[in-house]
Amino acid sequence: MALSAGAAHERAEALSRPRANRLGLWLFFASETFLFAAFISARFVSSGTYKPEELNQPLALFLTVVLLGSSISAYLAETSIAHGNRQGLIRYLSITILLGLAFLVGVGFEFKEAIEYFPPETIYGSNFLALIGLHGFHVFTGVVALAVVLRLGTKGHFEPDDYWGVEGVVKYWHFVDLAWVVIFPTLYLF
Amino acid sequence: MNDSGGYKRDAIRVGLLWLALVVVLEVVWFSVEILPRQYAEEARIIDDAFNLLTILGIPVFSFVVAMLIYAALRFRSGGDASQDGPPIKTSTPVVVTWLVVTTALAVFILINPGLVGLAELRANPDADLVIEVEGQRWQWVATYPNGAEVRDELVLPVDTRIKFEVTSVDILHSFWVPGFRTKIDAVPGLTTSVYATPTELGSFAEDSALRLQCAELCGIGHARMVMPVRVVEKAEFQAWMADQLTAEAPAAEGRG
Amino acid sequence: MRPLIRAVVLGLVGYVAGAWLTVAVRGGSPSDDVAVTFGFILGLIGWLMGIGVWNAWAREWFGLPAKPDQATGWQRYLTFNTDHKVIGVQYLVTFITVLLLGGFMALIMRWELANPGQDFLDPDTYNKLMSMHGILMIATAVAGILGAFGNYLVPLMIGARDMAFPRVNAMSFWLIPPVAIGLLSAPLLGSFDSGWTAYPPLSVVNEGGQVLFILAVITFGLSSILGGLNIVTTVATMRAPGMSWGRLPIFVWAAFAASVLSLLITQFFAASLILILLDRAAGTTFFLAEGGGDALLYQHLFWFYSHPAVYIMVLPAFGVMLEIITHLARKPLFAYKVVVAGFWGIVGLSVAVWAHHMFTSGMAESLHAPFMALTEAISIPTGLVFLGALGTLWQGRLQSKTPLWLAFGWLFNFTIGGITGIYLADVATDIHLQDTYFVVAHFHYTIVGGTIFALIAGSYFWFPKITGRMYHERLGKIFAVWLTVGFNLVFIPLFWVGINGMNRRIADYPEFFAGPNAFASVAAYILGAGFLLYAGNLLWSARRGPAADPNPWGARTLEWQLPSPPPEHNFPLLPEVVGHPYDYGIPGSVHVAPMTPEGGEEA
Ligand code: HEM
Ligand SMILES: [Cu+2]
Ligand SMILES: [Cu+2]
Repeated sequence: MALSAGAAHERAEALSRPRANRLGLWLFFASETFLFAAFISARFVSSGTYKPEELNQPLALFLTVVLLGSSISAYLAETSIAHGNRQGLIRYLSITILLGLAFLVGVGFEFKEAIEYFPPETIYGSNFLALIGLHGFHVFTGVVALAVVLRLGTKGHFEPDDYWGVEGVVKYWHFVDLAWVVIFPTLYLF
Repeated sequence: MNDSGGYKRDAIRVGLLWLALVVVLEVVWFSVEILPRQYAEEARIIDDAFNLLTILGIPVFSFVVAMLIYAALRFRSGGDASQDGPPIKTSTPVVVTWLVVTTALAVFILINPGLVGLAELRANPDADLVIEVEGQRWQWVATYPNGAEVRDELVLPVDTRIKFEVTSVDILHSFWVPGFRTKIDAVPGLTTSVYATPTELGSFAEDSALRLQCAELCGIGHARMVMPVRVVEKAEFQAWMADQLTAEAPAAEGRG
Repeated sequence: MRPLIRAVVLGLVGYVAGAWLTVAVRGGSPSDDVAVTFGFILGLIGWLMGIGVWNAWAREWFGLPAKPDQATGWQRYLTFNTDHKVIGVQYLVTFITVLLLGGFMALIMRWELANPGQDFLDPDTYNKLMSMHGILMIATAVAGILGAFGNYLVPLMIGARDMAFPRVNAMSFWLIPPVAIGLLSAPLLGSFDSGWTAYPPLSVVNEGGQVLFILAVITFGLSSILGGLNIVTTVATMRAPGMSWGRLPIFVWAAFAASVLSLLITQFFAASLILILLDRAAGTTFFLAEGGGDALLYQHLFWFYSHPAVYIMVLPAFGVMLEIITHLARKPLFAYKVVVAGFWGIVGLSVAVWAHHMFTSGMAESLHAPFMALTEAISIPTGLVFLGALGTLWQGRLQSKTPLWLAFGWLFNFTIGGITGIYLADVATDIHLQDTYFVVAHFHYTIVGGTIFALIAGSYFWFPKITGRMYHERLGKIFAVWLTVGFNLVFIPLFWVGINGMNRRIADYPEFFAGPNAFASVAAYILGAGFLLYAGNLLWSARRGPAADPNPWGARTLEWQLPSPPPEHNFPLLPEVVGHPYDYGIPGSVHVAPMTPEGGEEA
């Protein structure tokens, strides 16, 4: 009797689980949005729309394209597993990770260059360091999470009707991309 | 149990209790002197605001207290947990009245003392005398128009609109003279300003409200980052200021 | 005990490794800001892995099966346990302990303040003690009710078997001990002397303990964010059949609203502290004028969090008190929907009033009037909460029990707290009162008189549910009176000294203020002594008290329909909600259908 009622519970929970996971993830994004908003507002409050001449615009634009590309490959990874295509999952996840790493290397290079022209001791330099650092940290955690999911994928985890791990990490990756789409103009265009 | 007769009786009694409390507290408020002595025109403006807020706050406070006292005395049950009160879930007239009254109160205080007080304080951007005040850990340095730098006492002329231009060389401090009720932070890299128009003679020795007290936490010396204030006649002030230039300046340098 | 020992060891190893690696890579001393930062981060990871994140969770990321630590009895409370009731009790005990510790610090401060002049604390020590007291108490107020009752009650009240993310929940709690350890070990690095507000430039140039403050508080923020996320998701997705939004118990609404706020705005506190850390450790110049930085930027970011934070503290307190009042007045919660609307009005307005803390900061004067207006507007939704409370008491059948006595004290205190808030919202009066003891008295009336009173009242009200035993009623009432009277005796005189020119955060003051300060100090010791009665009553009753009826208050909400303490996974059968929780006095009304096997199967 109690057992069967417990089973009813389990059923109800199995139904609410994906909803809960998705909502939890979206709430996490909402929260992170406030973190980015704090840093971005700090940039405008403390250095207005000032930007130095020496910014490497072509490189930043190129990195933006790289990151946007990685969002596409992440999307393809998700659709692959949704259709039961494990090979595709592995391929596209790997591409996404590589693009993410390329972005990190590029940003590191840009940062090294930038620090010469506008060191952290200047207010623009402070904002540059903080925003690039904050975003870079998010890209880094995204790459790590993608790597964990990739490993699980190669070991045979995830099925067409059960791939929350992939979905979650891909959504996170899109979020990190989107953050860059706001940060890029904040630092380079205004 | 929820007959309207009982309801009315309770309401009238609470109303009377409320009235009594209001009267008593207002009388008390008008008969005790709580605010420190006013040494400046600004103090009068700010104290007026304080008074008005208290006069309006007393009925609000009394209402809650009257309700609590009455409920504690009259609505106590014998302890039988199965006996429920009347099932009043809500009452539109009560809710609407409540909203109207609280909104009206909020709007009222926003206008007066809120905006009115603000306007009075900012009415006059001119000043008869400008004194630069610089905060540093842990002392104040006042620079008078004649260039005299003073550290041990802030001497001010009575009946003169004075503008203090305040800044800091290290971290945050705050310029506050309780007798004037004026306060403004001293922020490194920024010059802030505040006005005071002394109206009464006096000195720190007689009243501790006449002190320039740092009001923003600034470390070890914060509590004692105090400069005595003395309000003197205008003529006396002029003489004193001239004296500072000859006598005090070399001494201050030696100390710095 | 094993997991705890493992956590301590791994935490220490992590700390040492982080600090040592930093020194190896970039030189410098192991106690400089950068080394401490990396030490803390690795230490935190070590601690979490040790306590059970590895076993119960992270193993899955490597394709290994999770194997949570098993423990029974009281040992559950020392492990990474995912039962929301265990976590609620962990929070309750932890924060009552922190409250008592912070209170003890306050007594030391009042000893120094009993007379003008320096007695036994030098100003530096005083400032550091004051700062420690402040942050411990703020943490208690922010996380106490949400952590303890939010976790314990929300799933029970909505008919769920646990929180939406039980492991995240356990992690939220286990992030707290490193916060406490970080803060309390700050004296090893010279402590922090910039108050709980940590205004730069002071917090950039002071001693290294400030870094531990920053790291600990960011960790605490992470815990709040995860906790808030969990409560919001749980309420949104795990309600039992029939538990519509219109039937949510008021405490659930309050915890939900506070959690939405906490989830979002806590990031601003984290951000503002990260910027200070960067100024200290990475050579940036956000708040230093020499490099073009701006000290006021911090205040804007900080208060954008910290004003709404006062509502994170007080909304759950509203919820607790309205529950108590409704059940013990045995009447429907008056104007339930209006009260809920009031909560959301508060949430909405609370993010738009922050600069009322900055009227004397030197910010643009054009901001003064709008922020005054918005702040005064927030008293309207706050007033609706009073409407709910007083309307419910009106013509009730009041059960004379300790929690209700405390609710009366709470209403009294919070009225004073709210009215004095208006003096601070008015620009003219705030120019005089800002940074004086008037502010100290105001926020103690709201936080102690509001939030801590609710924490204490709740700990009586749900005591029989949590422990299965009854507290001693007469001692409880004595304490309720003691607390209310003692508290008012301490803080009423502080309004007076503030108005008359005593600024806050000082170890010494002019002779003029000697009388009221001596009075407040004596009263503080009386108040402090009262807590022996509190702790004694609850500790003794938890072990020896008479067995309590599952529903001693005859209350209608779901948690009272279960045995005390409720079994693991709460509901053997799925509850079905068929009516409003507060329909006292309405003949034939029911909140939950009888929990029969059929009832369970239907769902
Ligand atoms: C109608 C309600 C309230 C109003 C109008 C109000 C207004 C204010 C204002 C204007 C200040 C700034 C004072 C100053 O620094 O000059 C202030 C300070 C403060 N308030 Fe309130 N308040 C209200 C309710 C609350 C509540 C509910 C809490 C907490 C539960 C609270 C906690 C605080 C704290 C902690 C501070 C001081 C922060 C600090 O400087 O350390 N207030 N309040
Ligand atoms: Cu100071
Ligand atoms: Cu505030």
